[in-house]
Amino acid sequence: MDSASIYYLGVTLILFLIFAAIVVRTYSKRHAARGEEPKFRMMDDDYPNHQ
Amino acid sequence: MNQQEGYADDIVKGFVIWSMVWGLVAVLVGVFISFQIAFPQLNFPPYLTYGRLRPIHTNAGIFGWGIGSFMAFFIYITQRLTRTSLWSPGLAKAQLWLFNVVIALAAVTLAMGMNRSKEYAELEWPVASLVVVLWVIFAVNIVMTIVKRREEQMYISLWYILATLVGVAVLYLVNNASIPVSLTKSYSAYAGANDANVQWWYGHNAVAMVLTTPPLAIFYYFLPKATGVPIYSHRMGVIAFWSLIFMYLWTGAHHLLWAPVPDWVQTLAMAFSVMLIAPSWAAVFNGYFSMNGQWHQMRENYLVKFLIFGITFYGLQTLQGPSQSIRTFSAFIHFTDWVPGHVHMGTLGWVSLVLFAAIYYTIPRLYHTEIYSIGLANVHFWLVLTGQLIFSITMWIAGVQQAAMLNATNPDGSLHYSFIETLVELYPYWHMRALGGVIYLAGLLVFLYNIYLTIAGAKTQAAAQRA
Ligand code: HEM
Repeated sequence: MDSASIYYLGVTLILFLIFAAIVVRTYSKRHAARGEEPKFRMMDDDYPNHQ
Repeated sequence: MNQQEGYADDIVKGFVIWSMVWGLVAVLVGVFISFQIAFPQLNFPPYLTYGRLRPIHTNAGIFGWGIGSFMAFFIYITQRLTRTSLWSPGLAKAQLWLFNVVIALAAVTLAMGMNRSKEYAELEWPVASLVVVLWVIFAVNIVMTIVKRREEQMYISLWYILATLVGVAVLYLVNNASIPVSLTKSYSAYAGANDANVQWWYGHNAVAMVLTTPPLAIFYYFLPKATGVPIYSHRMGVIAFWSLIFMYLWTGAHHLLWAPVPDWVQTLAMAFSVMLIAPSWAAVFNGYFSMNGQWHQMRENYLVKFLIFGITFYGLQTLQGPSQSIRTFSAFIHFTDWVPGHVHMGTLGWVSLVLFAAIYYTIPRLYHTEIYSIGLANVHFWLVLTGQLIFSITMWIAGVQQAAMLNATNPDGSLHYSFIETLVELYPYWHMRALGGVIYLAGLLVFLYNIYLTIAGAKTQAAAQRA
């Protein structure tokens, strides 16, 4: 393996680790309710000032 | 600005209308070039030849119809999901002008034969530079609107919108890097196999960032709006988004299997293409599961029909695509008519069905009226579905036949058929494809007529109310 291939593999691994962290965070119990909130809030977005 | 609701919606109307104009141009030219293939005597050099018209068809379709309506719906959706008005409606107005100038310039320069010879990146540097200005204006406006948002969390569509803005910018700048030698001619900054690799990294990610992420943003927004029921899982949407982004960028070399690019690059592209089934189908399942208890709406709600058929074609497309990315399968179907069959299930099936639904949903709301005729919308649906299926299915069969003929050998190992003999056998399929195109065009005309009468009716109503 030359240095270019190692670099390529390294970047892929780092990206994969970031992705794994996103999965763990998204599916953590703490984020369960919060992670689903936007899908309810978007149902009623006809007026900009409506909270 | 639409004062009552506080959103800048007039500009959305402008983009929707112009995207429909370019969509009609794309389909008209598409039908014409399908006839040129079936009846070569319809080529009239120099301007009206297949070689000049094909890139006009793809540019009008992908950039005029596709990007034009994505611009409309990104502006529409972003304002609503952020509960704030557009950062700069004035800038958006300038963007609409520039957009039309760019597409018109693209059509004229391509007809004159100015072409970088890179698929989907044909435009010569002066027009390509205008595209960059256009994209910067668009991206700044959307990003600034998101920055000043009133919603803390971002709904999944906004993630797809941001990915599109960043992705297209990076892809376009890298693949358009070139050395101009005159106002109308430039040479790519890369050479040989490197150039091919950059081109298909761009080409496939144009599929990702233009033909996948924007329609997904639109689908995730309009499906719940049309059914009245939230999307099945927002978190699944988020994970599917990040995995899609993680995987797509490595897959370009599946267009270059068996080509002189390094073997490991091809294998990597093949592996990531197969892995892409997971995030793609996560979106499909999210759509299907959102329909739990709502399937009766397929019959009662014409919008749902467009959206669910659209996501189904996306699902089929993302099974067929990974199969094509496998070396042995690619060796068979590459360079045959199979590929336009694949392309048009994506563009006519997936992307356009979702856009039709979004236009049917928004136009009556923007003009404070009802759709002119649901019956006509249903006729439109069945015509475009039939036209597209005839197109794709005949091309798949034609592709398999041509592939089999190209691979047929005599006992001494020589080829049984010459290339031209395979072409002669394809005429019946090309006639069928042209017929499919005509049916699709008829559907599109019904759609445009319905939208025209909806807008005209709304204007008459508004005038009567004022009087
Ligand atoms: C998992 C997703 C997908 C994969 C892995 C994939 C794979 C492929 C492959 C391997 C080819 C090249 C075929 C050949 O020339 O031998 C191709 C062509 C193409 N695909 Fe897909 N595809 C996918 C999804 C889509 C979607 C959703 C669209 C949307 C419209 C699309 C549009 C296209 C287009 C426009 C081309 C033609 C490129 C050209 O001009 O040569 N694909 N795809």
